[in-house]
Order: sequence, then C-alpha cells, then structure tokens
Amino acid sequence: MAGRRRIRWEALSLKLVFGLLAAIALLFLVLPTAVVLLTSLTSSQSLRFPPPGFSLRWYVALLDADQMQRAGLNSLIVAFWTTLLSSICGTAAALAIARSRSPLMRAADLLFMSPLLLPALSFGFAALIFINRLGLSPSVPLLVLGHGIVCVPFVLRTTLASLSQLDASLLEASESLGADRLTTFRRITLPLIGPGIGAGAFLAFMASFDNVPVSLFLADERTEMLPIHLWQQIETNLDVRTAAASGAIVIATLILMLLAERFAGLTRQMH
Amino acid sequence: MTASRSHRVRLDAITHRFGASTAVRDINLDIAGGELVALLGPSGCGKSTLLRIISGFIRQSEGRVLFDDSIADALSPAERGVGIVFQNYALFPHMSVGENVAYGLQAHKWSRERIAKRVAEMLDLVHMGEFAGRKPRELSGGQQQRVALARCLAIDPKVLLLDEPFGALDKNLRLDMQIEVKRLQRQSGITTILVTHDQEEALSMADRIAVMSRGRIEQISTPTGIYDTPQTLFVNEFVGTTNVLRGEFIDGSAVQLEHGVVLPVSPDKIFQQGHAVVVSIRPEQLRFQPAPSDGVFTAIITTVLPLGAQVVYDVALTGGPSLKVAEPRDAEGELREVGATVYLAPASPAACHVFPAS
Ligand SMILES: Nc1ncnc2c1ncn2[C@@H]1O[C@H](COP(=O)(O)OP(=O)(O)OP(=O)(O)O)[C@@H](O)[C@H]1O
Ligand SMILES: [Mg+2]
Repeated sequence: MAGRRRIRWEALSLKLVFGLLAAIALLFLVLPTAVVLLTSLTSSQSLRFPPPGFSLRWYVALLDADQMQRAGLNSLIVAFWTTLLSSICGTAAALAIARSRSPLMRAADLLFMSPLLLPALSFGFAALIFINRLGLSPSVPLLVLGHGIVCVPFVLRTTLASLSQLDASLLEASESLGADRLTTFRRITLPLIGPGIGAGAFLAFMASFDNVPVSLFLADERTEMLPIHLWQQIETNLDVRTAAASGAIVIATLILMLLAERFAGLTRQMH
Repeated sequence: MTASRSHRVRLDAITHRFGASTAVRDINLDIAGGELVALLGPSGCGKSTLLRIISGFIRQSEGRVLFDDSIADALSPAERGVGIVFQNYALFPHMSVGENVAYGLQAHKWSRERIAKRVAEMLDLVHMGEFAGRKPRELSGGQQQRVALARCLAIDPKVLLLDEPFGALDKNLRLDMQIEVKRLQRQSGITTILVTHDQEEALSMADRIAVMSRGRIEQISTPTGIYDTPQTLFVNEFVGTTNVLRGEFIDGSAVQLEHGVVLPVSPDKIFQQGHAVVVSIRPEQLRFQPAPSDGVFTAIITTVLPLGAQVVYDVALTGGPSLKVAEPRDAEGELREVGATVYLAPASPAACHVFPAS
C-alpha cells in the first residue's frame, strides 16, 4: 500500500517537474517573441516596452530601408542555395550511411553531425582562417558553403529517420518486379523519404537564415546578412525597424511552419 | 497461361552461412514445372533464407540454383523471373492499387494501352477490379494480399514465391485466400514455392511438402506421405499430433515398451536387439478393444473432448504416460465416461512408427 502510494507521488511530482519545465521553456520562448511583436507595433519613435500606442508605421518604414532589404535579400539568397546544397548532400550522405553498417560510415555520420555539436563560432573562425590561407575573400558561394556545413546535419537526421522507417521489402519488391536501381530510387525511395528530406530542408533554411556565428566571419559589407545587420542596428541606434523586421520574420516563419505541417507533417518527420 | 509455360526449379546441395552460423545446410530439392511445394518448419529453421536464395536476394555460400536446367546463380531476382509475395505484402503505400499492379509492367517497358488492359485483367482475376483507385492503406488484409498477388502475377513470372503469405490474416479469411491462391496457381500452372510454419496450410495446399528443421530438409513427400509415413520423429511430431512411447527393440517385429506392453510393429528400419527406440502412434490410429490381451494397453479415461465429428479422449496408462485417442463420433453412440477403464491397441502394426531414441 505504502509502496504504491509512493509511486503515485513520484509519478505526480515527475509530472509537476516536467510541466513546470515546459511552462518555463514556453515562457522563455513565447514571451520574448510576443514582446518583439508588440514592440514592433509601437507608434512611438523609440524601442520601448510596453508601447505607448499601436501603429503599423515601422512596417511601412521597412519598405524604404534599403540596406536592411539588401541584407534580407542576401540572407534569402544564401539560405536558398544553402538549403539546396544541404538537401542534396544530406540526402546523399543519409542514403550512404543507412545502407552501410561499416564503422567507417558511423564515423562519417559523426563527422557530418559535428558542426551541430562544435561551437559554430569556432567553426566560423576556422573557416575564415582557412579561406584566408587559400587567398579567397568572402563571397556568396563561400557563405553558402559555410552555411551548408552547419545545415547538413538537419537534413541528415530527418532523412536518416525516414529511411529507417522505409520497409526494405518495398525495395526488394521493386527490384523483383524488374525495376533498376535508379527507377527504384526515383519511384519508391524518394517519394517515401521525401517528407523527411522536406522537413530537413525546412530546418536547414531556417538555420541558415538566422545564422550569426558563421556569417559573422564569412560575410563582409557587400554580403552583409540580415541577422548581423539587425544586430548592428540595435547596437548603434536602437532602430525600431529592427523590431518590425523581426516581427516580419516571426510571422513569415509561422506561416511557413503551418504550411509545412499541413503538407508534410513537419513534426512527424522530426523523430 | 498453360502448364507448358511451367518452369522447373532445382536446388543442388545448397548451403548458406551467416558468419559462423549455418542457416541452411546441404539442401537438394527438385521442383517440377507447375508444382506447388511447401517449405514447412518451425521458426528459424531457414525457410525464408532458402526462399531468398531461390529468389536471388541472397547468394548461397555453396551449391547451385537451377531454373530449367540452367544455372541461375549469377542472375538477379528480375532476371530469374521470380514473382514474390512478401509476408507483409510490401505494397507501395504511395501508389494506388492500379499503379501498384502497373509498376512491374512499366519497368518492363510495356506500352500504356497494354498496361491498362493487363492491370484491369489482373485485378479482375483477383476480384479487385473495383478497387483500382484505392490506396493500399484503405484495403483490408485479404484485399492487400490479392493486390500483391496481382502485382507479381502481372509480369508473368516463371516461379511464384510466397513467404508466409497468409500469416497476417484471420482464420476464415486465411482459408478463403488459400483456396483462391490454389485456384490461381492451378489455373496458371505456375511453379510455386510456399513458405509456411502452418502444417494445415502445407497439407491442404501443397503437392509436395519439404519439412525443414535446423537448416536441413528432414523429408520431402506428398502431404499424405508426410502424414502417414514420417521418416523422422521430428516430422512425425511436427505434422499432426501423435503419442510417443519409449521402449526397447526386441526383434524385427516387436517393441518392449517401458511400462510393460509388448507392441507388434513393422518398421521400415530394423534396429539392433535392445536398441532404445520411441514408438509413435497417432490418436486416430488407436482403437478401443473389448477386453485386455497381448499388445493391448489398459488405461483410465481422464478427459473427454467432444470435438464435433470426433471425440478425443485423454487416457492414463496404468503405471505409464497418458495418451490421446481420437474416435469418430456417431450421433447415437454415448460418449465414454471419465474414470472408465478402457483397453486400447494400435489399428495395425504399420500404424506404429519406430524411431531411434535420441
Ligand atoms: N541476415 C541474417 N544475418 C544473420 N543471421 C540470419 C540472417 N537472416 C537469418 N538469419 C538466421 O538464419 C536462421 C534461419 O532464418 P530464416 O529467416 O530463414 O528462418 P525462418 O525459417 O524463415 O523462420 P521464421 O518462420 O521465423 O520466419 C535463423 O537462425 C536466423 O537467425
Ligand atoms: Mg521467415
């Protein structure tokens, strides 16, 4: 009797702890976002919370913010190519790793994952030294390459997860029906792991779009990226347009996420 | 489709090892064109491995696979022309029923019109014509299986390989599908290998049964041959139920059982006098006798199981093990009662199978 009651107590306290942690996490994630959104709607001249009144004037002001727009466009271009690069590389790597059981491939898996585990700052710094040694200067392709390295793990993980769900007998069935490897890949494997790749691509896009540590080292004034530009604006002149830009990004992200969830079941692909 | 298209499959001394463990060992099997052979055996005995060797997904460590007398070892599954129905059906989940059936034909570069015609024909064959537009997940287990069958028969395979195809179906549906598959197989005359661990399935469907145990074929024979004249105790016990009694061989025609009775037998093999043996008698081969005499067991009924057409009695031998006895039941006759003393003898010496004691 006493034992059972204790177990129930433990279960209850465990629930409480988890509930509390979840609440705190939500608070720390949602509250700042809400604050930014509210601030961006301010009618006043300065960044202040709570805003004295509401208006969309700073969103309108974004339309004239040339430098910010250029940085945003740079970020979009880099994120686009990064997504493409990391989707292809991540998928190819996942296919190779999933097919093989050799320790070499396990090592390769770890190697691909390392950018997620290592501090991105030290990777950015190392990359800068490296390209300097090669005599190259910052450019969009180099940025894409740098971003690609830190974004591949996302695609790799989600694709590996969906490959592990893929029933091997489907591939055997395809083969026994006379399909060659390429046909099997194109008509069976790819459609079935597609949502996994898509989820990874989405994460890669987001990770590239708001990447600071790598861009910090690999970008110059010409290839200035949005997160860094926003950071500098806040540092120097507390520009309310930064809040509006952040707000726009948050809203765009939400819409993208909803679309991804609707069409590919994003959250289903992540475990 | 006629029997003249039937292809012969021959396995010649096939052995396969996974690392240090041997999954199948020295398998010799000759399957005639149009024949349905069942590979029957307990879990892990190597049935699937053997089937995968025949299909070409596994390359055997030793021995040869021959299709129509030509060696197939270097050929891929598609080149061998095997049609496989997987245990889980392996339908492509993102394609409709029609697309699933069309898949193999597209891979074989058939024209669009021919494919459409063939798909309709195959779906009709398995009574799934009206489901062409459905996705596999919208079908029941039996329907999925029909589609799987239609998909692999569409490309007109030389040999049909079925790995526990009825395992996932409930009992009634299983019986329906067994009849259906048997009908299709007869109709097309396609050489078929069926993997199963269900003895009834093997007995009812197969022309011949290969009973496997621990990677070996213990016996290959017709269903009645397997049931009536098992070559090993394993086959005897695995197929059907039987009573096993220990004893000692006296001479060419009798066994002294451990608990006293001397049983007349007519074994295929003669053992040395005094050799320890086991005698196996099927429940329906035991007959009630009016009175005790030589070679007759005296027993007391412990359980009565009226199973419809027949009654199964559990009886305890005096000073010995218990036996199962099956007696056909006639509507008028009364059941024997628990606690009654009865006398039992085998129907004939040939009903007693003698095996060396292990
Ligand atoms: N890929 C593999 N690697 C190593 N061992 C294997 C492999 N496949 C099968 N085996 C082993 O080979 C033996 C035979 O396996 P197999 O799958 O052929 O058995 P089975 O008769 O089909 O059993 P079941 O009725 O359970 O399907 C088993 O002991 C199994 O553990
Ligand atoms: Mg098996």
